[in-house]
Amino acid sequence: MWKIFSQYWKILIFEGVKNTIYLSLIALFFGTIIGAFLAFGRMSKFKPLSWAVGAVVEVVRGTPMLLQLYIGVFGIPMVVPKEVRPDFLNDYFVMVAIVLVINSAAYVSEIIRSGIQAVDKGQTEAARSLGLSGFTTMTQIVLPQAVKNILPALGNEFITVIKETSLASTFAVGELMTKYDEIKSVNYNAFPAYIVIGIIYFVLTYSLSKIMAFVERKMKHD
Amino acid sequence: MIEIKNIFKNFGKLKVLSGVSTEIKKGEVVAIIGASGSGKSTLLRCMNLLEAPTFGEVWMEGRLLTPVDPYLHEEVIEASNTYKKLIGEGLERDAAIAKIREEDLLNEKFSIAEGKEYKGKIKKIYKENSIDINLARRKMGMVFQQFNLFNNMTVKDNITLAPIKTGMYKGMGKEARAAAEAKAMELLERIGLADKADVYPSTLSGGQKQRIAIVRALAMNPDVILFDEPTSALDPEMIGEVLDLMKQLAGEGMTMVIVTHEMGFAREVADRVLFVDEGIIAEEGAPAEVFGNPKHPRLKEFLSKVL
Repeated sequence: MWKIFSQYWKILIFEGVKNTIYLSLIALFFGTIIGAFLAFGRMSKFKPLSWAVGAVVEVVRGTPMLLQLYIGVFGIPMVVPKEVRPDFLNDYFVMVAIVLVINSAAYVSEIIRSGIQAVDKGQTEAARSLGLSGFTTMTQIVLPQAVKNILPALGNEFITVIKETSLASTFAVGELMTKYDEIKSVNYNAFPAYIVIGIIYFVLTYSLSKIMAFVERKMKHD
Repeated sequence: MIEIKNIFKNFGKLKVLSGVSTEIKKGEVVAIIGASGSGKSTLLRCMNLLEAPTFGEVWMEGRLLTPVDPYLHEEVIEASNTYKKLIGEGLERDAAIAKIREEDLLNEKFSIAEGKEYKGKIKKIYKENSIDINLARRKMGMVFQQFNLFNNMTVKDNITLAPIKTGMYKGMGKEARAAAEAKAMELLERIGLADKADVYPSTLSGGQKQRIAIVRALAMNPDVILFDEPTSALDPEMIGEVLDLMKQLAGEGMTMVIVTHEMGFAREVADRVLFVDEGIIAEEGAPAEVFGNPKHPRLKEFLSKVL
Protein backbone atom coordinates (compact mmCIF):
# COMPACT_ATOMS: atom_id res chain seq x y z
CA MET A 1 0.00 0.00 0.00
CA TRP A 2 2.70 2.39 1.06
CA LYS A 3 4.67 1.25 -1.95
CA ILE A 4 1.81 2.30 -4.20
CA PHE A 5 1.47 5.65 -2.55
CA SER A 6 5.21 6.40 -2.56
CA GLN A 7 5.46 5.28 -6.15
CA TYR A 8 2.50 7.16 -7.54
CA TRP A 9 1.89 10.00 -5.10
CA LYS A 10 2.83 12.64 -7.61
CA ILE A 11 0.25 11.42 -10.06
CA LEU A 12 -2.34 10.88 -7.34
CA ILE A 13 -1.95 14.24 -5.65
CA PHE A 14 -0.94 16.55 -8.47
CA GLU A 15 -3.24 15.11 -11.11
CA GLY A 16 -5.92 13.03 -9.43
CA VAL A 17 -6.65 15.17 -6.39
CA LYS A 18 -6.15 18.33 -8.38
CA ASN A 19 -8.70 17.33 -10.98
CA THR A 20 -11.15 16.05 -8.36
CA ILE A 21 -10.95 19.31 -6.43
CA TYR A 22 -11.10 21.25 -9.66
CA LEU A 23 -14.30 19.49 -10.77
CA SER A 24 -15.82 19.73 -7.29
CA LEU A 25 -15.12 23.44 -7.00
CA ILE A 26 -16.60 24.15 -10.42
CA ALA A 27 -19.69 22.09 -9.57
CA LEU A 28 -20.12 23.69 -6.16
CA PHE A 29 -19.41 27.26 -7.15
CA PHE A 30 -21.60 27.43 -10.25
CA GLY A 31 -24.06 24.92 -8.79
CA THR A 32 -24.66 27.16 -5.79
CA ILE A 33 -25.11 30.29 -7.88
CA ILE A 34 -27.42 28.64 -10.39
CA GLY A 35 -29.11 26.75 -7.56
CA ALA A 36 -29.94 30.03 -5.82
CA PHE A 37 -31.58 31.33 -9.00
CA LEU A 38 -33.50 28.07 -9.40
CA ALA A 39 -34.66 28.28 -5.78
CA PHE A 40 -36.09 31.77 -6.28
CA GLY A 41 -37.54 30.68 -9.62
CA ARG A 42 -39.32 27.81 -7.97
CA MET A 43 -40.68 30.07 -5.21
CA SER A 44 -41.83 32.65 -7.76
CA LYS A 45 -45.46 33.70 -7.74
CA PHE A 46 -45.34 33.52 -11.54
CA LYS A 47 -46.69 29.98 -11.88
CA PRO A 48 -45.27 28.98 -15.30
CA LEU A 49 -41.74 29.81 -14.12
CA SER A 50 -42.20 28.01 -10.82
CA TRP A 51 -43.64 24.99 -12.60
CA ALA A 52 -40.88 24.85 -15.25
CA VAL A 53 -38.08 25.14 -12.68
CA GLY A 54 -39.79 22.51 -10.53
CA ALA A 55 -39.97 20.11 -13.46
CA VAL A 56 -36.28 20.51 -14.33
CA VAL A 57 -35.19 20.10 -10.71
CA GLU A 58 -37.30 17.00 -10.18
CA VAL A 59 -36.07 15.34 -13.37
CA VAL A 60 -32.43 16.02 -12.48
CA ARG A 61 -32.91 14.74 -8.94
CA GLY A 62 -34.93 11.76 -10.08
CA THR A 63 -32.49 10.31 -12.60
CA PRO A 64 -29.09 8.71 -11.93
CA MET A 65 -26.03 10.90 -12.14
CA LEU A 66 -24.26 8.34 -14.33
CA LEU A 67 -27.08 8.50 -16.86
CA GLN A 68 -26.88 12.28 -16.88
CA LEU A 69 -23.14 12.03 -17.50
CA TYR A 70 -23.71 9.67 -20.43
CA ILE A 71 -26.29 12.03 -21.89
CA GLY A 72 -23.99 15.03 -21.43
CA VAL A 73 -20.76 13.43 -22.64
CA PHE A 74 -22.03 11.13 -25.43
CA GLY A 75 -25.69 11.98 -26.05
CA ILE A 76 -25.69 15.70 -26.60
CA PRO A 77 -22.66 15.81 -28.93
CA MET A 78 -24.34 13.03 -30.90
CA VAL A 79 -27.50 15.02 -31.63
CA VAL A 80 -25.62 18.21 -32.58
CA PRO A 81 -24.48 17.96 -36.23
CA LYS A 82 -20.69 18.00 -36.70
CA GLU A 83 -20.69 21.18 -38.79
CA VAL A 84 -22.24 23.33 -36.06
CA ARG A 85 -20.82 21.50 -33.04
CA PRO A 86 -18.73 23.83 -30.85
CA ASP A 87 -15.41 22.42 -29.62
CA PHE A 88 -16.33 22.20 -25.99
CA LEU A 89 -19.02 19.62 -26.75
CA ASN A 90 -16.22 17.23 -27.69
CA ASP A 91 -14.25 17.94 -24.53
CA TYR A 92 -15.11 15.26 -21.97
CA PHE A 93 -13.82 17.32 -19.07
CA VAL A 94 -15.98 20.33 -19.96
CA MET A 95 -19.09 18.22 -20.50
CA VAL A 96 -18.56 16.33 -17.25
CA ALA A 97 -18.16 19.65 -15.45
CA ILE A 98 -21.36 21.02 -16.99
CA VAL A 99 -23.34 17.95 -15.95
CA LEU A 100 -21.94 18.16 -12.44
CA VAL A 101 -22.91 21.83 -12.25
CA ILE A 102 -26.47 21.16 -13.39
CA ASN A 103 -26.82 18.21 -11.05
CA SER A 104 -25.56 20.03 -8.00
CA ALA A 105 -27.58 23.16 -8.92
CA ALA A 106 -30.74 21.05 -8.72
CA TYR A 107 -29.88 19.71 -5.27
CA VAL A 108 -28.62 23.04 -3.99
CA SER A 109 -31.79 24.78 -5.19
CA GLU A 110 -33.90 22.48 -3.04
CA ILE A 111 -31.58 23.02 -0.08
CA ILE A 112 -31.86 26.78 -0.44
CA ARG A 113 -35.61 26.69 -1.01
CA SER A 114 -36.32 24.55 2.01
CA GLY A 115 -33.90 26.65 4.07
CA ILE A 116 -35.77 29.84 3.17
CA GLN A 117 -39.18 28.28 3.66
CA ALA A 118 -38.14 26.92 7.06
CA VAL A 119 -37.74 30.48 8.35
CA ASP A 120 -40.81 31.21 10.47
CA LYS A 121 -43.46 33.08 8.49
CA GLY A 122 -43.93 35.36 11.48
CA GLN A 123 -40.51 36.87 10.82
CA THR A 124 -41.62 38.02 7.37
CA GLU A 125 -44.96 39.22 8.68
CA ALA A 126 -43.31 41.26 11.42
CA ALA A 127 -40.96 42.90 8.94
CA ARG A 128 -43.71 43.66 6.43
CA SER A 129 -45.99 45.00 9.18
CA LEU A 130 -43.29 47.58 9.94
CA GLY A 131 -43.48 48.79 6.35
CA LEU A 132 -40.27 47.16 5.12
CA SER A 133 -40.26 46.13 1.47
CA GLY A 134 -40.21 42.50 0.39
CA PHE A 135 -36.60 42.90 -0.74
CA THR A 136 -35.38 44.39 2.53
CA THR A 137 -37.25 41.70 4.43
CA MET A 138 -35.56 39.02 2.35
CA THR A 139 -32.02 40.41 2.65
CA GLN A 140 -32.14 41.61 6.27
CA ILE A 141 -34.35 39.03 7.97
CA VAL A 142 -35.05 35.90 5.96
CA LEU A 143 -31.74 35.14 4.22
CA PRO A 144 -29.52 35.65 7.29
CA GLN A 145 -31.70 33.16 9.14
CA ALA A 146 -32.02 30.81 6.18
CA VAL A 147 -28.24 30.56 5.88
CA LYS A 148 -28.17 28.76 9.22
CA ASN A 149 -30.65 26.20 7.93
CA ILE A 150 -28.85 25.92 4.62
CA LEU A 151 -25.21 25.55 5.67
CA PRO A 152 -25.28 22.05 7.19
CA ALA A 153 -27.20 20.63 4.23
CA LEU A 154 -24.97 22.51 1.82
CA GLY A 155 -21.93 20.97 3.53
CA ASN A 156 -23.39 17.53 2.97
CA GLU A 157 -24.00 18.39 -0.66
CA PHE A 158 -20.38 19.52 -1.01
CA ILE A 159 -19.22 16.18 0.32
CA THR A 160 -21.59 14.31 -1.97
CA VAL A 161 -20.28 16.23 -4.96
CA ILE A 162 -16.66 15.37 -4.14
CA LYS A 163 -17.59 11.70 -4.03
CA GLU A 164 -19.76 11.89 -7.13
CA THR A 165 -16.89 13.24 -9.19
CA SER A 166 -15.61 9.63 -9.06
CA LEU A 167 -18.35 8.77 -11.57
CA ALA A 168 -16.51 10.97 -14.03
CA SER A 169 -13.79 8.30 -14.16
CA THR A 170 -16.13 6.49 -16.54
CA PHE A 171 -14.96 9.03 -19.10
CA ALA A 172 -11.32 9.03 -17.94
CA VAL A 173 -11.18 12.77 -17.32
CA GLY A 174 -8.19 12.46 -15.02
CA GLU A 175 -9.68 12.82 -11.55
CA LEU A 176 -8.77 10.64 -8.61
CA MET A 177 -10.78 7.58 -9.58
CA THR A 178 -9.35 7.63 -13.09
CA LYS A 179 -5.90 7.55 -11.54
CA TYR A 180 -6.94 4.48 -9.64
CA ASP A 181 -7.74 2.74 -12.90
CA GLU A 182 -4.43 3.79 -14.34
CA ILE A 183 -2.43 2.56 -11.33
CA LYS A 184 -4.29 -0.73 -11.20
CA SER A 185 -3.68 -1.36 -14.85
CA VAL A 186 0.09 -1.04 -14.53
CA ASN A 187 0.71 -3.05 -11.38
CA TYR A 188 -2.27 -5.47 -11.48
CA ASN A 189 -2.73 -5.06 -7.74
CA ALA A 190 -6.17 -3.64 -7.12
CA PHE A 191 -6.60 -3.86 -3.39
CA PRO A 192 -3.85 -1.53 -2.09
CA ALA A 193 -4.91 1.00 -4.71
CA TYR A 194 -8.48 0.86 -3.39
CA ILE A 195 -7.27 1.69 0.09
CA VAL A 196 -5.01 4.53 -0.99
CA ILE A 197 -7.74 6.16 -3.08
CA GLY A 198 -10.28 5.64 -0.31
CA ILE A 199 -8.03 7.33 2.24
CA ILE A 200 -7.50 10.30 -0.06
CA TYR A 201 -11.25 10.73 -0.59
CA PHE A 202 -11.82 10.43 3.12
CA VAL A 203 -9.19 13.05 3.96
CA LEU A 204 -10.81 15.43 1.46
CA THR A 205 -14.36 15.01 2.72
CA TYR A 206 -13.50 14.80 6.41
CA SER A 207 -11.50 18.02 6.35
CA LEU A 208 -14.35 19.68 4.46
CA SER A 209 -16.90 18.58 7.03
CA LYS A 210 -14.64 19.91 9.81
CA ILE A 211 -14.41 23.26 8.03
CA MET A 212 -18.21 23.37 7.67
CA ALA A 213 -18.69 22.54 11.36
CA PHE A 214 -16.34 25.38 12.23
CA VAL A 215 -18.25 27.85 10.05
CA GLU A 216 -21.56 26.73 11.57
CA ARG A 217 -20.24 27.25 15.08
CA LYS A 218 -19.04 30.72 14.12
CA MET A 219 -22.52 31.69 12.92
CA LYS A 220 -24.37 30.43 15.96
CA HIS A 221 -25.25 33.24 18.30
CA ASP A 222 -28.86 32.64 19.18
CA MET B 1 -58.25 56.38 11.26
CA ILE B 2 -59.01 52.95 9.80
CA GLU B 3 -62.18 52.28 7.91
CA ILE B 4 -63.06 48.85 6.63
CA LYS B 5 -65.91 48.47 4.20
CA ASN B 6 -67.76 45.24 3.64
CA ILE B 7 -64.76 42.95 3.99
CA PHE B 8 -65.02 39.35 2.83
CA LYS B 9 -62.19 36.87 3.19
CA ASN B 10 -62.22 33.35 1.81
CA PHE B 11 -59.46 30.80 2.18
CA GLY B 12 -60.32 28.56 -0.73
CA LYS B 13 -63.85 27.40 0.02
CA LEU B 14 -63.69 28.38 3.67
CA LYS B 15 -65.50 31.66 4.32
CA VAL B 16 -63.75 33.38 7.22
CA LEU B 17 -65.17 36.88 6.96
CA SER B 18 -68.55 37.55 5.41
CA GLY B 19 -69.10 41.27 5.18
CA VAL B 20 -67.51 43.24 8.00
CA SER B 21 -67.64 47.02 8.18
CA THR B 22 -66.41 49.24 10.97
CA GLU B 23 -64.43 52.36 11.62
CA ILE B 24 -61.64 52.81 14.13
CA LYS B 25 -61.52 56.42 15.29
CA LYS B 26 -58.45 58.34 16.39
CA GLY B 27 -57.60 57.66 20.03
CA GLU B 28 -60.07 54.83 20.26
CA VAL B 29 -59.25 51.50 21.90
CA VAL B 30 -61.24 48.73 20.25
CA ALA B 31 -61.27 45.17 21.57
CA ILE B 32 -62.23 42.35 19.24
CA ILE B 33 -63.52 39.26 21.03
CA GLY B 34 -64.95 35.97 19.84
CA ALA B 35 -64.41 32.24 19.88
CA SER B 36 -61.43 30.61 18.16
CA GLY B 37 -62.02 30.38 14.45
CA SER B 38 -64.60 33.14 14.47
CA GLY B 39 -62.45 35.28 12.16
CA LYS B 40 -61.32 37.92 14.64
CA SER B 41 -57.60 37.54 13.94
CA THR B 42 -58.26 37.50 10.19
CA LEU B 43 -60.25 40.72 10.58
CA LEU B 44 -57.29 42.35 12.32
CA ARG B 45 -54.83 41.06 9.73
CA CYS B 46 -57.00 42.46 6.94
CA MET B 47 -56.56 45.94 8.42
CA ASN B 48 -52.87 46.08 7.46
CA LEU B 49 -53.29 43.68 4.57
CA LEU B 50 -51.21 40.86 5.98
CA GLU B 51 -54.27 39.07 4.65
CA ALA B 52 -55.61 40.58 1.45
CA PRO B 53 -59.42 40.75 1.67
CA THR B 54 -61.22 38.80 -1.04
CA PHE B 55 -63.77 41.61 -1.42
CA GLY B 56 -64.23 44.97 0.22
CA GLU B 57 -62.00 47.92 0.91
CA VAL B 58 -59.69 49.07 3.68
CA TRP B 59 -59.06 52.79 4.10
CA MET B 60 -56.59 54.50 6.34
CA GLU B 61 -56.89 58.23 6.92
CA GLY B 62 -58.68 58.70 3.64
CA ARG B 63 -56.26 56.57 1.62
CA LEU B 64 -57.25 53.31 -0.03
CA LEU B 65 -55.07 50.31 0.82
CA THR B 66 -56.88 47.58 -1.14
CA PRO B 67 -57.90 47.42 -4.79
CA VAL B 68 -61.19 49.18 -5.62
CA ASP B 69 -64.28 47.09 -4.85
CA PRO B 70 -66.72 48.11 -7.61
CA TYR B 71 -69.78 47.15 -5.54
CA LEU B 72 -68.97 49.85 -3.00
CA HIS B 73 -69.10 52.68 -5.57
CA GLU B 74 -72.44 53.53 -7.15
CA GLU B 75 -70.79 55.56 -9.89
CA VAL B 76 -68.78 52.48 -10.87
CA ILE B 77 -71.86 50.28 -10.96
CA GLU B 78 -73.64 52.89 -13.07
CA ALA B 79 -70.82 52.79 -15.58
CA SER B 80 -71.03 49.02 -16.06
CA ASN B 81 -72.60 47.31 -19.04
CA THR B 82 -74.59 45.09 -16.68
CA TYR B 83 -76.25 48.17 -15.18
CA LYS B 84 -76.97 49.62 -18.59
CA LYS B 85 -78.55 46.35 -19.64
CA LEU B 86 -80.79 46.30 -16.57
CA ILE B 87 -81.85 49.90 -17.17
CA GLY B 88 -82.59 48.89 -20.76
CA GLU B 89 -84.83 46.18 -19.41
CA GLY B 90 -86.81 48.89 -17.63
CA LEU B 91 -85.46 48.77 -14.06
CA GLU B 92 -85.24 51.91 -11.92
CA ARG B 93 -81.77 53.16 -10.97
CA ASP B 94 -81.93 52.14 -7.30
CA ALA B 95 -83.52 48.81 -8.07
CA ALA B 96 -80.85 48.04 -10.66
CA ILE B 97 -78.02 48.89 -8.25
CA ALA B 98 -79.63 46.84 -5.48
CA LYS B 99 -80.08 43.88 -7.83
CA ILE B 100 -76.47 44.04 -9.00
CA ARG B 101 -75.20 44.19 -5.43
CA GLU B 102 -77.40 41.40 -4.17
CA GLU B 103 -76.72 39.00 -7.00
CA ASP B 104 -73.03 39.86 -7.63
CA LEU B 105 -73.77 40.59 -11.27
CA LEU B 106 -70.61 42.52 -12.17
CA ASN B 107 -68.16 40.53 -14.25
CA GLU B 108 -65.02 41.23 -12.24
CA LYS B 109 -62.86 38.51 -13.70
CA PHE B 110 -63.23 39.81 -17.24
CA SER B 111 -63.80 43.43 -16.35
CA ILE B 112 -63.40 44.40 -20.02
CA ALA B 113 -66.87 42.89 -20.47
CA GLU B 114 -68.25 45.74 -18.36
CA GLY B 115 -66.92 48.31 -20.81
CA LYS B 116 -64.25 50.98 -20.97
CA GLU B 117 -66.17 53.49 -18.89
CA TYR B 118 -66.39 51.02 -16.01
CA LYS B 119 -62.69 50.22 -16.11
CA GLY B 120 -61.88 53.91 -16.37
CA LYS B 121 -63.92 54.75 -13.27
CA ILE B 122 -62.17 52.06 -11.26
CA LYS B 123 -58.78 53.26 -12.40
CA LYS B 124 -59.65 56.83 -11.55
CA ILE B 125 -60.78 56.01 -8.00
CA TYR B 126 -57.69 53.90 -7.47
CA LYS B 127 -55.36 56.55 -8.82
CA GLU B 128 -56.85 59.32 -6.72
CA ASN B 129 -57.00 57.44 -3.43
CA SER B 130 -54.59 54.54 -3.24
CA ILE B 131 -51.42 54.61 -1.18
CA ASP B 132 -48.43 52.28 -1.25
CA ILE B 133 -49.10 49.60 1.35
CA ASN B 134 -45.57 49.86 2.75
CA LEU B 135 -46.10 53.56 3.48
CA ALA B 136 -49.41 52.83 5.18
CA ARG B 137 -47.95 50.04 7.29
CA ARG B 138 -45.28 52.36 8.66
CA LYS B 139 -48.06 54.21 10.45
CA MET B 140 -49.80 51.01 11.51
CA GLY B 141 -47.83 48.99 14.06
CA MET B 142 -48.58 45.35 14.74
CA VAL B 143 -47.92 43.12 17.71
CA PHE B 144 -48.16 39.36 17.26
CA GLN B 145 -49.13 36.48 19.49
CA GLN B 146 -45.74 34.83 18.86
CA PHE B 147 -43.80 38.12 19.34
CA ASN B 148 -41.88 37.62 16.08
CA LEU B 149 -38.78 39.47 17.17
CA PHE B 150 -36.10 39.11 14.51
CA ASN B 151 -33.99 36.17 15.72
CA ASN B 152 -30.90 37.24 13.82
CA MET B 153 -30.64 40.65 15.46
CA THR B 154 -29.98 42.09 18.87
CA VAL B 155 -32.83 43.77 20.74
CA LYS B 156 -31.55 47.20 19.75
CA ASP B 157 -31.26 46.25 16.07
CA ASN B 158 -34.77 44.81 16.20
CA ILE B 159 -36.05 48.22 17.22
CA THR B 160 -33.88 50.36 14.94
CA LEU B 161 -34.09 48.29 11.74
CA ALA B 162 -37.35 49.68 10.39
CA PRO B 163 -36.76 53.34 11.37
CA ILE B 164 -33.35 53.25 9.68
CA LYS B 165 -34.38 51.29 6.58
CA THR B 166 -37.47 53.38 5.94
CA GLY B 167 -35.51 56.60 6.25
CA MET B 168 -37.54 57.88 9.16
CA TYR B 169 -34.65 59.95 10.48
CA LYS B 170 -33.07 62.64 8.34
CA GLY B 171 -29.37 62.96 7.79
CA MET B 172 -26.48 60.81 6.68
CA GLY B 173 -26.34 57.10 7.52
CA LYS B 174 -24.50 57.60 10.79
CA GLU B 175 -26.69 60.44 12.05
CA ALA B 176 -29.87 58.56 11.26
CA ARG B 177 -28.53 55.48 13.01
CA ALA B 178 -27.57 57.51 16.08
CA ALA B 179 -31.02 59.10 16.21
CA ALA B 180 -32.73 55.73 15.83
CA GLU B 181 -30.55 54.19 18.52
CA ALA B 182 -31.20 57.06 20.92
CA LYS B 183 -34.92 56.58 20.42
CA ALA B 184 -34.57 52.80 20.89
CA MET B 185 -32.68 53.26 24.15
CA GLU B 186 -35.27 55.73 25.37
CA LEU B 187 -38.02 53.19 24.66
CA LEU B 188 -36.07 50.40 26.34
CA GLU B 189 -35.51 52.59 29.42
CA ARG B 190 -39.21 53.13 29.55
CA ILE B 191 -39.94 49.41 29.83
CA GLY B 192 -36.94 48.83 32.09
CA LEU B 193 -35.04 46.66 29.64
CA ALA B 194 -32.19 48.97 28.65
CA ASP B 195 -29.70 46.38 29.89
CA LYS B 196 -31.01 43.95 27.27
CA ALA B 197 -30.17 46.20 24.31
CA ASP B 198 -27.31 44.05 23.03
CA VAL B 199 -28.66 40.56 23.67
CA TYR B 200 -30.43 38.31 21.18
CA PRO B 201 -34.15 37.59 21.59
CA SER B 202 -33.65 33.90 22.38
CA THR B 203 -32.27 34.83 25.81
CA LEU B 204 -35.42 36.75 26.84
CA SER B 205 -38.59 35.66 28.59
CA GLY B 206 -41.92 35.80 26.76
CA GLY B 207 -43.05 38.88 28.64
CA GLN B 208 -39.81 40.69 27.81
CA LYS B 209 -40.07 39.68 24.15
CA GLN B 210 -43.60 40.97 23.87
CA ARG B 211 -42.82 44.29 25.54
CA ILE B 212 -39.89 44.71 23.17
CA ALA B 213 -42.15 43.84 20.25
CA ILE B 214 -44.47 46.61 21.40
CA VAL B 215 -41.70 49.20 21.58
CA ARG B 216 -40.43 48.01 18.20
CA ALA B 217 -43.81 49.04 16.86
CA LEU B 218 -43.69 52.30 18.84
CA ALA B 219 -40.28 53.18 17.37
CA MET B 220 -42.02 53.92 14.06
CA ASN B 221 -44.27 56.51 15.75
CA PRO B 222 -47.40 54.75 14.48
CA ASP B 223 -50.84 56.31 14.44
CA VAL B 224 -52.42 53.02 15.42
CA ILE B 225 -51.21 49.68 16.77
CA LEU B 226 -52.88 46.36 16.00
CA PHE B 227 -52.53 43.67 18.67
CA ASP B 228 -53.12 40.06 17.65
CA GLU B 229 -53.73 38.13 20.88
CA PRO B 230 -50.66 39.70 22.51
CA THR B 231 -50.86 37.68 25.74
CA SER B 232 -52.08 34.30 24.47
CA ALA B 233 -48.61 32.77 24.21
CA LEU B 234 -47.41 34.05 27.57
CA ASP B 235 -46.99 32.26 30.87
CA PRO B 236 -49.63 33.52 33.30
CA GLU B 237 -47.16 35.40 35.48
CA MET B 238 -46.02 37.49 32.50
CA ILE B 239 -49.39 38.56 31.22
CA GLY B 240 -49.61 41.40 33.71
CA GLU B 241 -46.46 43.22 32.58
CA VAL B 242 -47.63 43.24 28.96
CA LEU B 243 -51.16 44.35 29.78
CA ASP B 244 -49.76 47.12 32.02
CA LEU B 245 -47.72 48.49 29.14
CA MET B 246 -50.75 48.36 26.87
CA LYS B 247 -52.82 50.19 29.49
CA GLN B 248 -50.17 52.90 29.62
CA LEU B 249 -50.35 53.32 25.85
CA ALA B 250 -54.13 53.49 25.96
CA GLY B 251 -53.85 56.12 28.69
CA GLU B 252 -51.58 58.19 26.45
CA GLY B 253 -54.22 58.24 23.76
CA MET B 254 -52.74 55.68 21.36
CA THR B 255 -55.25 54.27 18.92
CA MET B 256 -55.36 50.53 19.47
CA VAL B 257 -57.18 47.54 18.01
CA ILE B 258 -56.79 44.49 20.21
CA VAL B 259 -57.83 40.93 19.49
CA THR B 260 -57.88 39.39 22.94
CA HIS B 261 -59.14 36.64 25.21
CA GLU B 262 -58.51 38.82 28.27
CA MET B 263 -62.09 39.85 28.98
CA GLY B 264 -61.19 41.73 32.15
CA PHE B 265 -58.66 43.80 30.22
CA ALA B 266 -61.10 44.47 27.37
CA ARG B 267 -63.73 45.59 29.84
CA GLU B 268 -61.35 47.91 31.64
CA VAL B 269 -59.42 49.46 28.77
CA ALA B 270 -61.56 49.31 25.61
CA ASP B 271 -63.82 52.11 24.46
CA ARG B 272 -65.68 49.73 22.21
CA VAL B 273 -65.97 45.96 21.97
CA LEU B 274 -66.66 44.04 18.77
CA PHE B 275 -67.98 40.51 19.12
CA VAL B 276 -67.12 38.55 15.99
CA ASP B 277 -69.02 35.36 15.24
CA GLU B 278 -69.09 33.33 12.03
CA GLY B 279 -67.29 36.01 10.10
CA ILE B 280 -69.47 38.98 10.97
CA ILE B 281 -69.63 41.52 13.78
CA ALA B 282 -72.54 39.97 15.66
CA GLU B 283 -72.66 42.63 18.35
CA GLU B 284 -70.76 45.76 19.23
CA GLY B 285 -70.90 48.49 21.81
CA ALA B 286 -69.37 49.95 24.95
CA PRO B 287 -67.82 47.29 27.20
CA ALA B 288 -70.37 47.83 29.96
CA GLU B 289 -73.12 47.17 27.43
CA VAL B 290 -71.51 44.16 25.71
CA PHE B 291 -70.40 42.45 28.91
CA GLY B 292 -73.18 43.63 31.21
CA ASN B 293 -76.15 43.33 28.92
CA PRO B 294 -75.37 41.05 25.98
CA LYS B 295 -78.20 40.66 23.47
CA HIS B 296 -76.99 38.27 20.80
CA PRO B 297 -77.55 34.65 21.91
CA ARG B 298 -74.09 33.63 20.67
CA LEU B 299 -72.49 36.41 22.68
CA LYS B 300 -74.40 35.30 25.79
CA GLU B 301 -73.21 31.75 25.23
CA PHE B 302 -69.63 32.90 24.60
CA LEU B 303 -69.51 35.07 27.73
CA SER B 304 -70.98 32.33 29.90
CA LYS B 305 -68.09 30.13 28.81
CA VAL B 306 -65.22 32.57 29.22
CA LEU B 307 -66.24 34.66 32.24
